[in-house]
Amino acid sequence: MLKLAKVARHDRGSSPIPDTQASMTRPEITNNNWEEALTFVALQRDRSAYAELFNYFAPRLKAFGMKMFGNEQQALEMVQDTMLNVWKKAALFDASRGCASTWIFTIARNVRFDMLRKKQSRKDDISADDLWLNGEYPEQEADIDTSQWDTQLLMDKLAPHFTSLPPAQREIIEKVYLQEKSHQEVSDELAIPLGTVKSRIRLALDRLREALDGARN
Amino acid sequence: MAHAIKFHPGMSLLEQHAEGTLSADVALAVAAHIDLCPHCQQLSRDITADLACQLAQQPVKTNTTDWQQMLNDIMAQPQLSKQVAAIQPHLPAEPIIVNQREFILPRSLQRLAANRGKWLHLGGIATAKLPAGNDYHISLLYIDKNTEVPQHTHLGLEMTLVLAGKIVDENGEYGAGDLLINSPDDTHTPRTMADEDCLCLSVLSAPLKFKKGLTRLLNPLQQFFY
Repeated sequence: MLKLAKVARHDRGSSPIPDTQASMTRPEITNNNWEEALTFVALQRDRSAYAELFNYFAPRLKAFGMKMFGNEQQALEMVQDTMLNVWKKAALFDASRGCASTWIFTIARNVRFDMLRKKQSRKDDISADDLWLNGEYPEQEADIDTSQWDTQLLMDKLAPHFTSLPPAQREIIEKVYLQEKSHQEVSDELAIPLGTVKSRIRLALDRLREALDGARN
Repeated sequence: MAHAIKFHPGMSLLEQHAEGTLSADVALAVAAHIDLCPHCQQLSRDITADLACQLAQQPVKTNTTDWQQMLNDIMAQPQLSKQVAAIQPHLPAEPIIVNQREFILPRSLQRLAANRGKWLHLGGIATAKLPAGNDYHISLLYIDKNTEVPQHTHLGLEMTLVLAGKIVDENGEYGAGDLLINSPDDTHTPRTMADEDCLCLSVLSAPLKFKKGLTRLLNPLQQFFY
């Protein structure tokens, strides 16, 4: 019965709903689809979508702030400043360029950096805007480099080095290379975005490469 | 043909940079390298996405913070239109002129370089301080063609990022984007080629110390390089 109910809901969600044009009905935010929520905040000033985002991210940002500052007052100041930026600048979020969580994380990181510098009361100084590009570098050509490495890595039997990878990266490498799962399957299985699966693979490959030739400083 | 960058910051430097936990001076050298290096741009994107995913997935305790008040305060503020939100305090890239040569700096250095100190010249070498150092001293270092920087050792950490041109030392040849990191144990004699000058970003945690014969007379001048 439960299953049936689910199917019915799914059907309702995907059938074209005769919409009242001005305000689309926003489907409930499921499966942590924060990209959708942010888009609604940007396009329709959707307060309930923002509240859902806020309720999810504010406590997590606070935990991040506590780790970085070690005191609650500054951690909360960072949360407020970050989430205010998310509210005010939601129009700048571009889902085609990455996850909502990445966008929010970079705002928090920059807010925190500038808070620390201000604390040292130095004006003519390095700021977060200098250190991190606000936006994206122009896209590079396809990842030939990585795919070459895919093959070579297998040939070189790098398995012993797997143990030195961070657990999150190792898990994905094992699923993709040892269990031969597709990136999408791994994404579904671990409930993490596809982009994160791909980026963890690239990071792991680079770590393994570093372990091999130590060419980087 | 574009120079292939061979000397990159290590993964842990890139990770700390993405996290925002490097000291600002070191972070600036890493940021300028990333501006010049597509490979590290990709890595940084990936690392940032990964850190963000960790942040989003961490479990949190139900806590006592009164979030409702903060939420109301925030939503009481007006949202910005895309045009207004996108406005950045962006300086047009003014070229740096030294020795009658023009250089366009990487994005991360442009704002600070606009507030640089005067160029100080010594032989074929010129330096201009950037107003950013905290524990480290940050400067632009210009080396004319066919010039040798006297052999020196480092009392602290030396990071040199080649911004334009080429420089060679006992260990190799470095072109635009290459990042050299020298520890107190390293001794080297960087020089330029006969036909090509060089502009670098130099980040030093302590003055240089000159090693050989008469160049030791330079040691009182070490402030010049610092």
